[in-house]
Parts: sequence; structure tokens; C-alpha cells
Amino acid sequence: MSRSLSAQHIVKHYGGVVALSDGNLNIQSGEILALIGANGSGKSTMSKVINGVVDFDGGQLLLDDKPVQIPSPQAAKNLGIATVFQELSLVPQMTIADNIWLTREPLKSTKAINRKLINQRTEELLALFEGTLRTKIHPELPVSTLPPDEKQIIEILKAISLNPWLIILDEATASLDSRQVDRLFELIRRWKAEDKAIIFISHRMEEIFRIADRFSVLRNGKTVGDGNMKDITDKQLVQLMIERENVYEFTKASTAAEKTTSTNPVYLEVEDLETDTIRGISFKVKEGELVGIGGLRGQGQRDLLLAIFGDIPYSGKIKIKDQAVHFKNPRTAIKHSIALVPGERAREGLLYIRSILENLHLPNWDKYGFPLKIRKAQEDARKIGLRLNLVMASLMEPVSSLSGGNAQKVVIGKWLLRDPQCYLLDDPTKGVDVNTKSEFYSLLTGLCKDGKTILFYSSDDDELIGLCDRVLVLHDGVIRAELTGETLTKENLVAASLGVTNGGAA
Amino acid sequence: MKRLYISPPVAALILAIILFLLSGFLPNGFGNDINIAIAQATNILRLSVFLGVIAAGQTLVILSGYEGIDLSAGSVVTLTAILTYVLVNGRDEKVFYAFLIALLAGALVGLINGLGITFLKISPFVMTLSMSGVVTGLIIIINHGNVSGKVAPIMTRLIARPLSPNIPIPNAIIIWVIFGILMWLLLERTTFGKHVFAIGVNRVTSRLSGINVNATNLAVYSLAGALAGFGGFLVVGNTGVVFIALGQPFLFPSIAAVAVGGTLLSGGKGSYWGTMAGAIVLTLITSLLTTMQMPESIRRVVLGATLLVMISIYGRQRGFRQ
Repeated sequence: MSRSLSAQHIVKHYGGVVALSDGNLNIQSGEILALIGANGSGKSTMSKVINGVVDFDGGQLLLDDKPVQIPSPQAAKNLGIATVFQELSLVPQMTIADNIWLTREPLKSTKAINRKLINQRTEELLALFEGTLRTKIHPELPVSTLPPDEKQIIEILKAISLNPWLIILDEATASLDSRQVDRLFELIRRWKAEDKAIIFISHRMEEIFRIADRFSVLRNGKTVGDGNMKDITDKQLVQLMIERENVYEFTKASTAAEKTTSTNPVYLEVEDLETDTIRGISFKVKEGELVGIGGLRGQGQRDLLLAIFGDIPYSGKIKIKDQAVHFKNPRTAIKHSIALVPGERAREGLLYIRSILENLHLPNWDKYGFPLKIRKAQEDARKIGLRLNLVMASLMEPVSSLSGGNAQKVVIGKWLLRDPQCYLLDDPTKGVDVNTKSEFYSLLTGLCKDGKTILFYSSDDDELIGLCDRVLVLHDGVIRAELTGETLTKENLVAASLGVTNGGAA
Repeated sequence: MKRLYISPPVAALILAIILFLLSGFLPNGFGNDINIAIAQATNILRLSVFLGVIAAGQTLVILSGYEGIDLSAGSVVTLTAILTYVLVNGRDEKVFYAFLIALLAGALVGLINGLGITFLKISPFVMTLSMSGVVTGLIIIINHGNVSGKVAPIMTRLIARPLSPNIPIPNAIIIWVIFGILMWLLLERTTFGKHVFAIGVNRVTSRLSGINVNATNLAVYSLAGALAGFGGFLVVGNTGVVFIALGQPFLFPSIAAVAVGGTLLSGGKGSYWGTMAGAIVLTLITSLLTTMQMPESIRRVVLGATLLVMISIYGRQRGFRQ
């Protein structure tokens, strides 16, 4: 049976903020629709309208051409609409199996949960991603023990377990590595063949072109275009999204920065670094150098940055400007002029309910004496805001009022005042819109020009290739390849990420 | 439509004023005599000071988050009241010495709380409840149930009397106002205060931003203990007598005052102004019910209900669902 869902002229306000002013979307079974737009354009709101999470103020939803109300997520599920959420909706303390089957546990005749059946069905679901999961995964493992990518996969499996006809994937690939994305795409094609419909939301243009049949572009809460993927180029799509010219060249444009770092002195030297996940890593970074760290997710990149920053114990040697250091905590690392932009900004980088001002000054209050010179602090924060082009109502608003990209600017902004010599960046452009990304790139190249040293992990290969002088590819806790100049190509990067040793890369 | 937003401290203060004005219509209320009204208001404020100071420490621990609470505040009040009573023993010259000992004793109990919570990872609820038992037990062991002592005249003069016959404001209120300003300075104008809010919201973010989370937490509990100690010193200066159950009745209201004042019980957001307003509201309700000759049981019902109503109003204001 062919099914369809259509959203027409959807309007949604959050207080005074218009999230959607004219949102439109049509999808039929057997179709993969890419919902595209910059951060804050209304993609997430659109998906929340369809899956019943938010109540909208105007417009209507048609299911199989008949008006329909979707007042709650439960109602959406009953209508066969399942969502893979961007913000994870798993209960950390519960097991994988319990999370997937929550509220729908298979029961025995005694009304007790049928553990055998629940585990068996979970095994079947896990088998869909077999070979892409790093740990030996088991239905009875608590979700809290899983790395972010595997949590995301459990989230996907949970949606699939509902056997829906329409699946909404909201940034579901953001925390997956390329192997996992490949598998997910295989599955999506299989679901399409089974006549399911998929709404695919992603910031990665390349993925959209790989998987989607049709697109629908949102800009400032308005649907500004839709059509078939084969009739449009990536450049045209980006144009639709941002109303600004020549932005797609963002990464390449910033590579024009002078790369005359070869004569600079070495700033950071790491020798035989080992942690729980890292098995002996050595490298040197010169002043003014922007060194990328690549590889699949969870290969030790995070631990590498955290170890240098003193947040996790390690063995091995770290030298800064030829001086051996061993930071026991981030505080000491910060005193030695090192800054870290952590990977999960909500959980590790921000105080959500506190003001933008306080977030920007979190590491800096000691500079303002007693009693704190608030006016000076506000002035400094305003300058940082201007430098980062931070879009905000006022410094006193909570960080929670900012869009993802602007919130990430705050995470970086709090360090700028200290003017550290070395920045450790853990995937800082994850889930950030194209505009903000290009702003970041120019910020980073600017910092390097000023002689700052940057160690930059990114899950986006294009970003690493476009931006970095040199990329260290991590695989299973060791540096699999060091790519630079001629060898810094996508083929080599992907090959090294997958642990394939091909002659030219090393 | 834009919802009218009133900040919690203001809301609590408005509630206090409305309640006070209504109390004028009671059979034995102030009626239309402005002088009696002022005298009554002054008295309520004076009584609020003790709860207000004890609730200052409670505000700090609750702000510091991660289920922060100080259930030992009541027994610390008893402890330091008795210490002051015994050490002073009627001598004016011993007052300052006793005051320091009261602060130190409170801080010591707080430090032990902090050590247990920070390093042994005992939950604040369990840790401070246990310490409450330990402190109360120690008082009984040391005193065998009877204490001999006396407050000094200068304490009564400093705490219970007005500044001068011409200005009929009791010193306790003036002390409280200064104390309030100091608390505001501490929370809003020191690095320490900013760190208290930070660790109350998110300790991972705090740690990765270079805050010494453990030291801050330890300082919060020690300071909270010292403030409860200060509360005990004030209480005994006002009542002039001590007994083993002196401090305990302050415990529930000290938490309630923080909540009524709009401080998030989950930590990271709030103010001492709010707690001051909360202390006034709770003291006012208690004394109104006492005037109306309501039994203790009814008073407890009304206090509990007030807490629920205020918290649910604040919850609604934050926009629970879009």
C-alpha cells in the first residue's frame, strides 16, 4: 500500500521567535527525502511537528491525503512514524534491550517480561550493524557504557523496532563513523525497497547526495525549494540554504593561509603516550601549525586531547616548548596556556542555564579582581561576541537561548580572552551550520597566523583536508598514517581510517 | 501573548506584603493603627533574621548542586548556641572569642560534611543527615543533658535591641541587611561565587574550564557550616536560653526559605535575596498562625502547602512545556 504524508504551510512560534513561518514537506513511501537547511532554519522543528513532539500554530498535516492530528509522540508511533532523535532519548542506566523495547516489552503469559525473547530480538536488531560496532556488544549492557556512536545506533534500532512506514533520521549520522554511515545507508536503501519512507536530516552534503532521492530546503523557517536530487548541484543547494555567494568554497578558501611554519620551533611534543584507548602515540607540533587528527570515531582521538589537557591519566612524555610537563588536571594545563574545546558542548562545554556572560568568563573570573569588575567583564565579553559574530539578544540571556552554532562559539570564545598558545579542538564543527563553520575556519587560520598551535580532531574528512597542514590518522589507538601535502587526499585519509595500509600514505 | 514575568525574590516579597496586610484584618490584628502595624512588621523582620542567616548556608549548598543539602544545619545551630552560652557565661569580654569558636565549630562540621561528600562520594543527604546525628549525640555526651552558662548583656544589646532609642530598628535587622549585602558580594562579585554557580550546573564543564571543583565544593560545605554556626550564635543571643532541640525547628524552614526564594533545588541558579524573602514569608506565616492560635499541626500543613504552591508557580514560569 502506498502511503504519504504532507505538511502544508506549517507555522510554529516559540514565544516571540518564529521557528517555522511556512514549512512544507511531502513524502511518499519508497522515497528518501533530504530535509536541508542551516542551523536554526527549522529542520528540527519540522521533524518535531511531524512526530508529535511540538504543537504547531498554523497549517495542517495530511496523512494519505486526509487531515490528521498528531498530538503526541505516542500518536505518531501509532501512525507508523518513528524518529531517531538528534539529542539521544535513551535511559543511560537501562540495558540496550530494555531501552529498545521500553513500554513495548514482550511479555510471558504471566505478564512478566520475556527476557529470552527480548534479548533474542535485540540480537537480531544489533546484527543489522554487525561488524561496525567496536565493542563486543550485548543486549544486556547498560547504555551508559557505550560510546556516543553506539548509543546513536541503539537509537536507530529503537526506531526501527517499531516497524514504522516513515522514519525520520534527525542528524543521525553526526556521531557515526564512515563505516557505520555506510551500513546505515545500506539499511536505508533496504527500507526504501520495502516501501518505507525516510526523511533524512544531515549537515553533510556528501551524504545527502549519496542517499536522497528528493530534497526540501528550509531557510529561516520557510520552505524555499524542493525537487529531485539529480536536478541540482551541491553548490545550488548551498545557495538555496544561505542566500550568500561562493560559500561552498569555505574550506578551500581558508587553505590560502601562508604555510610557512616549517622553520618555527616545536611547541608540543608527545612521546609514547598511552591511555586506556591509546597504545603509544608520538608526534610533534610546531608553533603556528594546524594539525588535524582524523580517523573513525572512537579510535582514541578524544583520549589523546583529554590526556594532553590533563583530564585523564596517561603514561608517556609530553613536552611543551622543550619542557617536560605532566598535567594532573585541566587547571594546570590551562595555566600552561592550553585550551580545550570538548566534543560534547552541552555536557562538557557549557553551563546551559547560566548567562552567556558567565559562560564566556568561566575560566577567566580570576582576572577581574575583587569585587569582580563586572562592567569590564561585560565589555570584554562583548568584544569576544563581536569577534566571533555571536548572534544573541543580550549577554545576560542564558546560553540555552542560543542556536547550536552560536553556543559552540561561546565554548571557543571563553578561551580567547586568555589567549592560550595551544588549542585542542574535539570535533568543534559537529552539528554546526555551514555559515558558522566557515567563520570557525577563518578564526582557526587567523589563530595559526598569530603563532598559536592547534590540534584539531574532526569527523569531517573534507574539513581536515581543506584546513590542516598535516593530518594524523588514528586507528585503534595508534597513528596509522601521517598525511601531508601531496599525500593528504581523501582516498588516503579514508584508507588509513579504515586501517588499510596503502604504500603512499605513510 | 507575553507572560508576565516576576522574579522569585520579588514574588516572595509581594506574597509577604499581601499576607501582612491581610493579617491586619484579623480580630487581634493591627486594624488601622499604623504604629502597631510598623511595630508588628519590625518584629516579624527581627524574627526572620535567625532563619535568614541559617538559610544562608543552606542557599550555598543547594546552589552548589548535585543534590546539595545541609541536614546538619539544625544540630550545628544547637551546638554553637550551647558553645556560645557556656563560653560566654555572662561575660561581655568573652563574646568575640565565643563568636569565633561558634564559626569555627560550624565550619569544622561543614568541613567533615564536605570531605565525606567530595572524597568519599557520600550523597549530601546521607552525609549531612548522619553528621546531624553525630553532632546531636556529641552534645548530649559532653553535656550529659545539662548546661550551665549565660548569655552576656552585650549580646542581647547587639542582637535584640534597637540601635538607638530614636531609631526603632532592632540591631538584628541591621546585621541582616549587612549580611545580605555580603552574601550578594560573595555570590555575584567573587570568583568563588561564580564557581559555586558553575559547579551547581555542570561539574564536567566546570572542571574542563579550569575550576577546582573539589576545593570549591569543600569550601561551600565548610562555609555553610560556619554560617549555621553564626546562626546559632544569633539565636542564643536572642532567646537567652539553650536546650537540645533549639536548632532542629530551623532545619525544614531553612530549606523551605531557599526554595520559596526561587533558588533551584537542583542547583546552579538562585540568590540570597530570594532566601531572605523566603525567610520573611515563612516567619510571617508561622507567627500569623500562632496569633490565630492554630495548633502546631496546622502550622506544619500550611508551611508545607506554601512551599508546594511557590515551587509550582516558579516551575510554571520557567515554561515547562512549549
